[in-house]
Amino acid sequence: MSRLALTHADAPMTAARVGIGGPVGSGKTALVEQLIPALQARGIDIAVITNDLVTAEDAERVRRSGLIDPERVSAVEAGACPHTVIREDPTLNIEAADELERRFPGVELILLESGGDNLASTFSRDLTDFWMFVIDVAGGDDIPRKRGPGVIRADLLVINKVDLAPHVGVDLARMQREATEVRGGRPVLLTNCRRGEGVDAIVDLLEREVLFRT
Amino acid sequence: MFDRGEALALLQLGDSAFPAGGFAFSWGIEGLAADGLLSDRDDLDRVIADHLAQRWASMDRILLRRAWRAADSDAIAAVDRLAEATTPSAEMREGSRRAGRALLGVWVKLAGRLSVSYRARVSADPRLGHLAVVQAITGRDAGLSLDAAELVSGWTLITGLASAAVRLGLIGHIDSQQSLARARALLADLLADAPDDDAMPSSFTPFIDIAVSRGPLRAVRMFTT
Repeated sequence: MSRLALTHADAPMTAARVGIGGPVGSGKTALVEQLIPALQARGIDIAVITNDLVTAEDAERVRRSGLIDPERVSAVEAGACPHTVIREDPTLNIEAADELERRFPGVELILLESGGDNLASTFSRDLTDFWMFVIDVAGGDDIPRKRGPGVIRADLLVINKVDLAPHVGVDLARMQREATEVRGGRPVLLTNCRRGEGVDAIVDLLEREVLFRT
Repeated sequence: MFDRGEALALLQLGDSAFPAGGFAFSWGIEGLAADGLLSDRDDLDRVIADHLAQRWASMDRILLRRAWRAADSDAIAAVDRLAEATTPSAEMREGSRRAGRALLGVWVKLAGRLSVSYRARVSADPRLGHLAVVQAITGRDAGLSLDAAELVSGWTLITGLASAAVRLGLIGHIDSQQSLARARALLADLLADAPDDDAMPSSFTPFIDIAVSRGPLRAVRMFTT
């Protein structure tokens, strides 16, 4: 949260940077598509950066969604290294975020969507003020028990596609309980991003923990 | 005389782990492979040699040396504009600026005096921030000699090309080391001759330029260039 501490008179106000990571197909882009209107509805000025792995498909999907000015969506290529571009060397993402802030001076929050990755994926604190990790029930209810760094270290764990739980033999209550246990009680939220269920709880948390609006 | 301090600085600044975004630039390797023009180590060695001899030595190195000698930020910006004007491919220009601005951003955070000063200028002018120019600025901030700054510039190009080839599955890790060794020898040969101070930047790498320029048209693309 160090970036947000820059509130004294001479310090530049910068946008909060929120990372969204998680395995391929867990619903990161769907979550971004739900967060955009939900954040805008609360009057929050936003921009988006995507890190597609082999195409610009996610960036194009968000640009064409009609939810946000396409100029506010930047794509950063990951050079086949989705880990590196958000952790060991987040320079290109930092430059993209700085550029969005220069072009849109009032922007308050920038969503950074990682390319699909594995459970070891984490965001650099130099890049993000807050980051969430998105898994889904169809990936298996044993994911929290595997204690990957993404699951353990994220500021927020999102379990998506909860509507599929009965169809894939997942005990959702147990999965949520185990996720909360391995995370030492830190937040775990449930979503169905296709229908927007659970998204307001994420926005509540972002408003409270990231933007300090209570 | 072996200068341990400078050697250690070279190991740090020339390391592919130095966080300046270099891993995301293939400088034509991805495009050449997609077009069937690069498929093994021999091909890669030829592309690296082309990059070094026909572009880096006659273009990037010249720009770096001019920026190194520049007395103030006006003079540095003039070299930067020369880099812009002498790079016909829009994608090569864009790639060079993105790579340069990423490197400059790191050195701003490392509180490099020249970098901080020049960043303000780059932020106000979208034509500025080319990689070779920034390599001179950051080399000066790092306290390198010109020889060392040139070496870092050439070496990071080579490692970036070989690394991209590995990640694209074109060569293996042992082949990569053999390519690096071969390229290292060529770089040393090129560095042995200092260009004239008034040399103008020039390059002739048409296949590489076309491969980079076609990047935005490709449906599958992992690298910035």
